[in-house]
Amino acid sequence: MPLIIPTPEASPPEAVIEVEGVYRAFGSNEVLKNIHVAIPARRTTAIIGPSGTGKSVLLKHIVGLLKPDRGTIRIFGQDIHALPRKQLYALRKRMGMLFQAGALFDSISVGENIAFPLIHHGGGLSEAEIRQKVEEKLEMVEMAGFYDRPTAALSGGQRKRVSLARAIIMEPEIVFFDEPNSGLDPLTSDTIDQLIRDMKAKLGITFVVISHDIVGTVGVADYICVLERGGVATFGPTAEVLQSDHPMVRAFLSRNLDLDHIDGGQVPLPTARPSTEA
Amino acid sequence: MSTGPFAAVRDYFGFVLAIARSVQREGLSWSASIKAAWDIGVESMPILLVIAGFIGSNLSLQGHAAFAPLGAQRMLGMFVSLAGVRELAPIIAGSMVAAKAGTQMASQLGVMRIQEQLDALEVMAVDPLSHLVAPRLAGIMLALPALVIVATFTMIAAAYAAAVMQLGVAGPTFLRFAAEGVRPIDFAYGEVKGAVFGAVICTVSCWYGFHCGSGPEGVGRATNQAVVTSAVLCVVLNYLLSEVMYGG
Repeated sequence: MPLIIPTPEASPPEAVIEVEGVYRAFGSNEVLKNIHVAIPARRTTAIIGPSGTGKSVLLKHIVGLLKPDRGTIRIFGQDIHALPRKQLYALRKRMGMLFQAGALFDSISVGENIAFPLIHHGGGLSEAEIRQKVEEKLEMVEMAGFYDRPTAALSGGQRKRVSLARAIIMEPEIVFFDEPNSGLDPLTSDTIDQLIRDMKAKLGITFVVISHDIVGTVGVADYICVLERGGVATFGPTAEVLQSDHPMVRAFLSRNLDLDHIDGGQVPLPTARPSTEA
Repeated sequence: MSTGPFAAVRDYFGFVLAIARSVQREGLSWSASIKAAWDIGVESMPILLVIAGFIGSNLSLQGHAAFAPLGAQRMLGMFVSLAGVRELAPIIAGSMVAAKAGTQMASQLGVMRIQEQLDALEVMAVDPLSHLVAPRLAGIMLALPALVIVATFTMIAAAYAAAVMQLGVAGPTFLRFAAEGVRPIDFAYGEVKGAVFGAVICTVSCWYGFHCGSGPEGVGRATNQAVVTSAVLCVVLNYLLSEVMYGG
């Protein structure tokens, strides 16, 4: 079955995340080299590239977990690295993030994991109200009935779903996905991709997906940014990126997509789904 | 983690300062602190009782062997109470807590670091220092002075038992000299040492956990470094505190 490519917009919406001239080196290893990206609001942007190109490091800079040596990152117009902690936390309450391995707390139940941000920032919600909200999100990620289950007993795919439920519990304006398909079998990986598409349709918020899984991300992304050795090889609407004549971009994408036969907004897939191991 | 000992020391003090700022900003959860104190106390108690008991008995044996040729066996109580209350009880309690609770803190936080749970807390706008470290710090600073008292009395009781039942020292004599050997302020000094050791063990262990390297090997290394550094610092600090409290 071919992938449907979203029709490019006449003009992209305003940028919600602006990465300007970000440079970061760890010792002599230059991981990010003068990155410029403007991520549009209420769209899904995929940041893809081969392993070791700095995707996860860029994401950690965007959410303020790492600080760049040079450059600025503005989210909702605020320089995330210049904010005092109180304002930084206020900004982070408007974001959610799905971590690569879920980053769930195994000592508490599934429901308590999802409720965690609400308990800390819920503004006096009663236990019943918190439970109701958590149950709603569990249903959204197709995990209804898992509230009291022990987190440690979840499978890899279930952990990702619970992590996604936790990421959206505060009804954020931006959700970040760090390698949502890594470590999953192709079937579970497809389910997660479908879940992202459903969420995108239901929530209408900004999604930023970091991945090296070309098929999965092309299937969900409105915009694609391809990283190459710490720099941006190309960035734009998915349809334009798929037709890019940048040699590295073309070589990277054509390993998993039949770029020579894009037809009517559809791109043919290979017969076998590539491995999603990180 | 920064490379080089000076950078590491600078990082450590930055970490301690960040904990203080975090408590000032976010406050302290007393319920979490009391739970941490209870857990630390209960977990460390059995091993502490065994070690303090045997060290107390050993003090009696060695003290008796040293005093007997001088005909001063009755001084045994004073020797035990001086060594036990002033020096050994705080350092033994500190070492046991470093071995039990300190390693647990370093490994728990190390696992949280490599599983990105600390990053997840940050992204969820929950300060890991106030949520995870501050209650452990308050808990250990409550638990360790209490454990020092337990270690003190266990040591003296075991020394008494060995002196009276094994070495033939008269019980009232032992107790009279034991009471003469220490002043109430010595118990207070022991409590201060316990609180200081607790603060050092917790901050060092949590610092190693927070800065743990990648993978299970990183957690193992962080745990090992945490207990070694804590134990060495407790011994060095014990000397410095004794110098301030009893010197001159």
